[in-house]
Amino acid sequence: MLVYGFINSVILMMIALGFSITFGISRVANFSHGGFYILGGILTWYGLIKLGLPYFLSAGLSIIIVGIIGAVMYRVVLVRLRGLELSEVIATFSLGIVILELLRGLGVFGYEFRNPVFIDGSVEIFGVGVGIQRIIIVCAGAVLLLILHVFVHHTKMGLAFRGVAQQEHTALSVGINPDQVSMLSLAMGSIMCALAAVLILPLGVISVDEGYDILIKALAVCIIGGLESTLGVLVAAFIIGYIEVLTSMYISSSLTSVIPLACMLVILLIRPSGIFGKSKEIEERV
Amino acid sequence: MEYLKIENLRKTFGGVVAVDNVSFDVEQGTLLGIIGPNGSGKTTTVNLITGFLKPDSGKVLFKGRDIAGLRASKITNLGIGRTFQMVKPFYRLPAFKNLVVPLFSPRVKRMGGHYGEKDTLALDILEDIGFERDSAVPYKPASILPHGYLKRLEMARVIALQSELIVFDELYSGLTLAEVASISPMIEKLIETGKTIIMVEHRLKELFKIAHKIVVLDQGKKIAEGSPREIMKQPSVKKAYLGVEL
Ligand SMILES: Nc1ncnc2c1ncn2[C@@H]1O[C@H](COP(=O)(O)OP(=O)(O)O)[C@@H](O)[C@H]1O
Ligand SMILES: [Mg+2]
Repeated sequence: MLVYGFINSVILMMIALGFSITFGISRVANFSHGGFYILGGILTWYGLIKLGLPYFLSAGLSIIIVGIIGAVMYRVVLVRLRGLELSEVIATFSLGIVILELLRGLGVFGYEFRNPVFIDGSVEIFGVGVGIQRIIIVCAGAVLLLILHVFVHHTKMGLAFRGVAQQEHTALSVGINPDQVSMLSLAMGSIMCALAAVLILPLGVISVDEGYDILIKALAVCIIGGLESTLGVLVAAFIIGYIEVLTSMYISSSLTSVIPLACMLVILLIRPSGIFGKSKEIEERV
Repeated sequence: MEYLKIENLRKTFGGVVAVDNVSFDVEQGTLLGIIGPNGSGKTTTVNLITGFLKPDSGKVLFKGRDIAGLRASKITNLGIGRTFQMVKPFYRLPAFKNLVVPLFSPRVKRMGGHYGEKDTLALDILEDIGFERDSAVPYKPASILPHGYLKRLEMARVIALQSELIVFDELYSGLTLAEVASISPMIEKLIETGKTIIMVEHRLKELFKIAHKIVVLDQGKKIAEGSPREIMKQPSVKKAYLGVEL
């Protein structure tokens, strides 16, 4: 239980991280997250199975392609909608649906759509057998968090990102182009989303419906944690991760998919800005 | 060729004409003061010059090039810096990191340097502007600094940027006389080092001591222009400033 809850939580964190990074920097809620996730998985599958590319090449290319799609989506569509939050959500959600339904139309359904695990086998931890893929996911999650922390706090680009997130006008006044930063934040978020897909999808089959599920999970984790807080994502992932595992063990596994949503509703009721969210600062006029 | 030439600048918000066919020139190496009652269009003029707003019509010629409507970050990188009337620091960054951001801007890129190396430079600038170096002040997040420090941080930011034309929007408002007295010489020093300055200001007495020329706005229109001495005598200015002792 301890071990599985932990792994489940890290998986949730990986799923939510891309969404949270993009939102934290550019305030774009990327509702095509689920579409990007499945796209990352299916592109990897296509390169690997249909084109016969080496696994890591295929995965790498897929991640890059999804990153580029994220950046292009900002450059072509979102840049015109800045500030119109509802339009942003509709635009990104539409793209997500287009991707997912297109894949469904192309016949992505069934057991054959499945990425192999990186390394077969399992090891025993605290008396529980754990697949090596899951161990890789946990390690990758830790490394990703570390890289993210170093990037945000110890590079000049990270500093510019924080500047834009904290005070867009001032960033403009010191020569930073917020549109460029936002585009990069979408690329980064999309890359993290595809990376999560590459790592996590080998645990099951690639199905279009999971795309919608992934979006909801990412949303739930981010809203519970507080939308722009990476620490919040981590904590919320662990809360939901363990509640899910507990529910499937002691109540019913058919209820687990409701858990993230239930937690989200509870948090929205008692603390709308999330556990680590800051209540909105008052917007001042220029 | 004029250094900065504003031509028939106009900006409306819905039915409100915030800036109404305003024209004036700024000579290189001089300080222009813009005054006028609240709501007379001073901040809007600043926003039009610095790219934070697009004019409905009119030109902003900077060294002969029309920069009206260019992206603000672009204008910054051409050498025009600004401060905000309502202070806008990066609240969750320490004071000195607030300056590291402009120190990395394309404008000062040629100085080189990696992350971390610019911290010293930032601390130097802060020390010059009155953040006691040995105290904890430069390391505190901007969110907990008192107003006087935040105003100075606004100024430090454009100094870090090495802008050649600096637009201050009510830099002195909310500052004590002593604080103003310590900042005024710094502004004169900026002029001496060849910078050009536009100061939107309500503190007329302090402004008139250092300004070369004054433009007076009222309800979006330019109602007077001239040396501080001339402006003080203008009846129309006195009327716009009813009750204010010049
Ligand atoms: N963003 C805005 N939206 C609508 N009206 C505005 C906006 N900015 C300024 N105004 C209006 O334009 C006029 C000039 O304002 P402003 O330039 O801020 O004056 P000042 O800086 O001289 O006090 C005012 O009537 C103000 O209400
Ligand atoms: Mg103003």
